[in-house]
Amino acid sequence: MLEQLLIFTRGGLILWTCKEIGNALKGSPIDTLIRSCLLEERSGAVSFNYDAPGAAYTLKWTFHNDLGLVFVAVYQRILHLLYVDDLLSMVKQSFSEVYDPKRMAYNDFDETFRQLRMEAEARAEELRKTKQVGKPVTGSVKKQGQVLKAGLEGGNKRVGEGGTKKDDGDGIKGKVSNLTNGHSNENHKMGDDSQEADRANGKENTSSNVAVDISKLQKLRSKGVRGRGGVRKADSIGNKSSKVAAAEPAKKATKKNRVWDDAAPKQSKLDFTDSVDDNGNNDHVEVVAADQGESMMDKEEVFSSDSESDDDDDDEPGSDEKPAEAKKKGWFSSVFQSITGKANLEKTDLGPALKALKERLMTKNVAEEIAEKLCESVEASLEGKKLSSFTRISSTVQAAMEDALVRILTPRRSIDILRDVHASKEQRKPYVVVFVGVNGVGKSTNLAKVAYWLQQHKVSVMMAACDTFRSGAVEQLRTHARRLQIPIFEKGYEKDPAVVAKEAIQEATRNGSDVVLVDTAGRMQDNEPLMRALSKLINLNQPDLVLFVGEALVGNDAVDQLSKFNQKLSDLSTSGNPRLIDGILLTKFDTIDDKVGAALSMVYISGSPVMFVGCGQSYTDLKKLNVKAIVKTLLK
Amino acid sequence: MDNWEDMKIVAEQWSKQGIEFVQQIPSPQLYAAIALLLLATIWLFSIRLFRRTKSNTVLLSGLSGSGKTMLFYRLRDGSSHQGAVTSMEPNEGTFVLHYENIKKGKVKPVHLVDVPGHSRLRSKLEEYLPRAAAIVFVVDALEFLPNIRAVSEYLYDILTNASVVKNKTPVLLCCNKTDKITAHTKEFIRKQMEKEIEKLRCSRSAVSTADITNDFTLGIEGEVFNFSHCHNKVTVAEASGLTGEIDQVQDFIREHVKP
Repeated sequence: MLEQLLIFTRGGLILWTCKEIGNALKGSPIDTLIRSCLLEERSGAVSFNYDAPGAAYTLKWTFHNDLGLVFVAVYQRILHLLYVDDLLSMVKQSFSEVYDPKRMAYNDFDETFRQLRMEAEARAEELRKTKQVGKPVTGSVKKQGQVLKAGLEGGNKRVGEGGTKKDDGDGIKGKVSNLTNGHSNENHKMGDDSQEADRANGKENTSSNVAVDISKLQKLRSKGVRGRGGVRKADSIGNKSSKVAAAEPAKKATKKNRVWDDAAPKQSKLDFTDSVDDNGNNDHVEVVAADQGESMMDKEEVFSSDSESDDDDDDEPGSDEKPAEAKKKGWFSSVFQSITGKANLEKTDLGPALKALKERLMTKNVAEEIAEKLCESVEASLEGKKLSSFTRISSTVQAAMEDALVRILTPRRSIDILRDVHASKEQRKPYVVVFVGVNGVGKSTNLAKVAYWLQQHKVSVMMAACDTFRSGAVEQLRTHARRLQIPIFEKGYEKDPAVVAKEAIQEATRNGSDVVLVDTAGRMQDNEPLMRALSKLINLNQPDLVLFVGEALVGNDAVDQLSKFNQKLSDLSTSGNPRLIDGILLTKFDTIDDKVGAALSMVYISGSPVMFVGCGQSYTDLKKLNVKAIVKTLLK
Repeated sequence: MDNWEDMKIVAEQWSKQGIEFVQQIPSPQLYAAIALLLLATIWLFSIRLFRRTKSNTVLLSGLSGSGKTMLFYRLRDGSSHQGAVTSMEPNEGTFVLHYENIKKGKVKPVHLVDVPGHSRLRSKLEEYLPRAAAIVFVVDALEFLPNIRAVSEYLYDILTNASVVKNKTPVLLCCNKTDKITAHTKEFIRKQMEKEIEKLRCSRSAVSTADITNDFTLGIEGEVFNFSHCHNKVTVAEASGLTGEIDQVQDFIREHVKP
């Protein structure tokens, strides 16, 4: 049954809780819901799952944007309660009639709520019974049928009230079954979009069982590897990886120098790196002291704010001209409405404005599903709100979207690395940073930039060359280390990176370095053995910061990369507290002019903040993310 | 040169005409008009003077979960109703503090603002800081040590904010939830905060020219940081939003919003 139903204001005050259900909730599901879902702009989602020791809840919510109220229902996840959505909307309606901003206690609402709950439960029971009386259904179809029932409930409500008014001699059950049949016709007449869609889904799914299975599979596959349906996909990956693993040792055993027909086999070594003594400097490499200038991390970002208003004015008529043809009438009426101040914003009003915004975001290289989710979230927060006079719908939507973007890009926790380094220094441990990412994003280059910046702040740095796979990776780091005059720990190639990192950290503890920067090999997110190796490195060494390096040129793949990296790290971790990605380093920022959407996609999907932005290939090209500038560029 | 003289002649003619016109007005009307003008200017000046007097805005800030919303409603209504969850929006109100309803006489209403403490909503604080006459920084005395870094960073950001430094806004460090047995005392909290801010001061001022967001640095060079080093007054108090012991907070608010 329902665990709890709360009504609270957006400012945080609880207005009403259900006193009948006296169970105290374990953990703090409401606070977690607000912090990780509603404030993260995921309010367009259907439900939220919360796990606490001893309880597994599912939370559903709805907003009343005009009055600034939030309605949340909590129930056990194992019980698939179907009437929750319906109950929430009914509670919303009846409470908004009773609500008064001056009143803080609503004890008389208990009675109303009890009635509503009984009605909803009774309806759910009846619908379940009548559905069971109908044709026998398979398990999956029953689920679709239940969704269908939930859709019909809304229609039931109105006619149900009308039905009780009539007095017939018929039994109630007979009446209900008549009504349910009558509803199926009425629903079409009422033309409620969601109900029709549910009905259509139900029809398609009952047509053939084969169709159901495929569509179910597709749905599960689209959800991603997560979830039980993804077991098949994981199995296939497992098979692939075992094949690859089997092939690799065989390959390693038989690899020999290729002998071409025309050339004589050379015996001289192929290593052309200059011979270096251990302590002296090489003549070719120049030491880069601090004379490259200060890193851009420490420079203030100067951006012009005076052109902002001009751009907005120029843009507004421009965006109106786009959907020109049939919308001329719409534009005029919207201007008229803006002056008079229309009553309430509906989904249909918000639709075109949100669509235009989504298109604009996608032209700025934001991943498609992120833009979609963001628009849904903004829609959920604006629906039902009163439009203030002298504002157009598009400007309201724009303001809400801007607010949401600033909220997402503002870091959830402090990104002051120097402070963390000092804290570690006091505990006499080195601060370990691991750079992970796919191939070719710029890990080694940006590692050197971060080392340079840290050096400028009088922090002693050590590099660890744990990229033991790619040829030239160790030499690359060695060159950087020599230029910056910092020690480097290396063990050459073909060694286990986790062990190299462990020894590097021990060395750092011995010689008193403050920070250890660990470079890893680039790996694709689908490559199972490499992800396992990465997970082993992180589990063994427990770094202080796991930095995901991503390039700003990436498009929709950013979502896939980050979610798979996080998922593999959490699945393959041995301890109960898996280490996930803590921060993002965005590289190649100078190559994109204003298509800055990758930053938004990455931050949204992972929840971790952007700590550094790489904007060039020299040591000083490292800066911080300027949230306001990015939001301005995204909405221009 | 001719143009100059021509213009001079025209100007003289106009001024003569103006003086004649003024002289033509009967004197009472003229005096009345001048008197009105004077009154208007005096009125405008006095409005400007009044505006310069302190605003009556008091900010309630602090980390998420420290009890600001409960404190807000306790100050307003005398009870915290049925509890609170994480705020998504600020709570604002201009009202006379609840305990002063009993007092007789005219009491100036206080504009109290409860700013959400969640880090994603930190930008809302920036909007209200310039207009604040006093700041109440609420600290959770129960869960103090696990959050000490975040708390001290937040307080440091407030104390080094440009408007706070310029207006010398007084700050009250309110240790909330002191009704619980395991809550720390205000002296302990004060000492720990001073230590943490000292560490922050060193690491933040170690950065070269432009710091991350802080416009000013705190304290005196070479000395361990103490709240008395701040140019604005920083005091410490204890409170409990749940049971209603908020006298020290009320006194502080009343002290800085003159009736």
